[in-house]
Amino acid sequence: MTHLTRLRAGLAATRAVVARELTAVVRSRSYWLLTAGVGVVVASVAAAGSGVDTGYVPTVVDLLVPTELLVPAVAFAVGYRVIADDDRRGTLTVLETYPVPPSAYVLGVYLGRLVAVLAAVSLPLTAVGGYVAASAGPASPVFATHGGVDNPALYGRFLGTTALLAAAALAVALAASAVSGSRRRALVAGLLGLVAVVAGGDLGLLAAVDAGVVGSDTLSSVLAASPTSAYRGLVFETVVAVAVERSPGTVAVGPAVAGLVGWISLGLLVATIAVSRR
Amino acid sequence: MTDTRLRADSVARTFGDVRALTGVDLDVPAAAVTALVGPNGSGKTTLLRLLAGLDAPTAGTVTYHGPTATREVGYLPQRPSFRPGFTVAETLGFYARLVDDDPERLLTRVGLSAAADRRVEALSGGMTRLVGVAQSLAGSPPVVVLDEPGSGLDPEATARVFDVVGRLAADGRTVVVSSHDLALVERTADRVAVLDGGELVADDSPAGLRGSWGGPLVETVVNHVDGVTTGPTEGDTAQGDGQ
Repeated sequence: MTHLTRLRAGLAATRAVVARELTAVVRSRSYWLLTAGVGVVVASVAAAGSGVDTGYVPTVVDLLVPTELLVPAVAFAVGYRVIADDDRRGTLTVLETYPVPPSAYVLGVYLGRLVAVLAAVSLPLTAVGGYVAASAGPASPVFATHGGVDNPALYGRFLGTTALLAAAALAVALAASAVSGSRRRALVAGLLGLVAVVAGGDLGLLAAVDAGVVGSDTLSSVLAASPTSAYRGLVFETVVAVAVERSPGTVAVGPAVAGLVGWISLGLLVATIAVSRR
Repeated sequence: MTDTRLRADSVARTFGDVRALTGVDLDVPAAAVTALVGPNGSGKTTLLRLLAGLDAPTAGTVTYHGPTATREVGYLPQRPSFRPGFTVAETLGFYARLVDDDPERLLTRVGLSAAADRRVEALSGGMTRLVGVAQSLAGSPPVVVLDEPGSGLDPEATARVFDVVGRLAADGRTVVVSSHDLALVERTADRVAVLDGGELVADDSPAGLRGSWGGPLVETVVNHVDGVTTGPTEGDTAQGDGQ
C-alpha cells in the first residue's frame, strides 16, 4: 500500500466512524435527555441572573461558572464509554483486520462525538444569546469602554472558547475510555478524568503556588496548563476584558489556547496508543 | 500440489509462564476448510489469532502467501457482538464502507437479505453469528478465520452456519475454523488439525485421520484427545482458550 492509498483508506475509515458515531448518538434517548437537561440548566442560570436583560458580556459572566462545570460533564457523559464498549464487543479486534489505523478510528470517534457535544452545549447557549439579542435592545444600559462595545461578537468568542473546552474535555474522556477496558472501569476513569479536568488542574496549581513552586510572575502562564483555568482566563481576557479599563491579566491568551489544544492532542494520543495496544 | 495461503513455522506463544502453543507447524491450504479441533485450553483460539494476524508469536513465524488484497484475512470472534440501535444492513454497511464493499453482497452471501432491516440486538444467536460471518467477508479477504462459529447455537443454527462456511471454500476462499462439533467438522472440513496441550498432534484430511487412527473421526479424536466432545458445546471464553 502506498502512503497515498493508506491516507485515503484512513480518511474513508474516519468518515465511516464519524457517521456511525453521529447516528448512534442521534438515536440515543439518553443523549436527548442530556441535551434537554443542559438546556434547562442554562436557561435557569440565565433567568436567575440579570445579564440577559443587560447585554452579552453580563450574560457571559452569569453563565461562566456553570458552563465551566457543565461542559466537561456533558463531554464525559457522551464519551466516557464509547471506546470501552467497542473493546468489550470485540469491535476493536475485528477492526484490526481492516485497513483502519487506530488513529483513524480514534479521530472518527472523536469527531462524531464532538459534533454531538457541541450541539448539546451550543444550542442552549445560542438560544440564550438570541434572547439577549431580542430583549437587551437599545433601551438596555450600554456596556462599553475604550476597548469596545458589548456586542454579539463577544458572545461568539464565548461560544468558541466554550467549544474549545468541550473539545479538550472530550479528548480526555476518550483517553479514559480507551485505557479503561471495561464499562465499570470506564465509568471510574471517566469520573476521575472529569474531576481532573474540572478541579484537578486548579488544585494542583494552588498547591504549586502554596509550595512556592509557581510565583506570581509566572502564574498567568502556568494557569494555562489547567483546562478550566485556561478556559476561564480566556473568557475573561477575550470577552469580559472589554468591560474593564484594562486586561485583568488572568491568563496569558496564547499559552491558554495552546494549553487547551495540548489537552486535545494529549487525550487523542493516549487514546490512540491505548487502542493500538489492545 | 495444493497452494498454501497461511503457513505457521515452529510457532510458539506464551502468556507469562503459561505456554499456550509449542512448536506448531501448519500449512493452511487455499480454497479449503481447515478445522482446528481440541479440548478447551488446547490453544485453538491462540493459534487462530496468530493466523489472523491479531497477535504475534513468541517464537516462530506466521506468513501469508495469498494474493495482495485490501484486507488479507477476515476474522469472526467467538462471540460476535454489534453496536445496538443499528439494523443488520447498517451494521454491515459500516464494515463495508471501510473496504469499499457492497453491504448487499455481504447480506446475500450469508442469506440474510430478508433480515436487513432488523435491529442487530433483536437477532437470534444464529443470525448474529451469520452477521459476524458476513462482516468477516467484507473486502473479500482471501482467507477467513472463524473462531467457534457454532458455539452456543442450537444444532439447526450451527448447521446453517457451517453450510455457509462450506460454501465459502467451495467458492475458492480459504477458511480456517475452530470447533468442538466433530460431526460437522468431519462433514465440512477438508483438513483437520488436532491440538492438545498447545501442540499439534495431528494434521490430515478427515479420511486420513480415520485411516491412521481407525474409525470415524468423532470416535478416533475423542479417544486420542481428552476433552474433545462429539457435539456442540458451550465454547471457550473469548480470549481464554489456550491462555
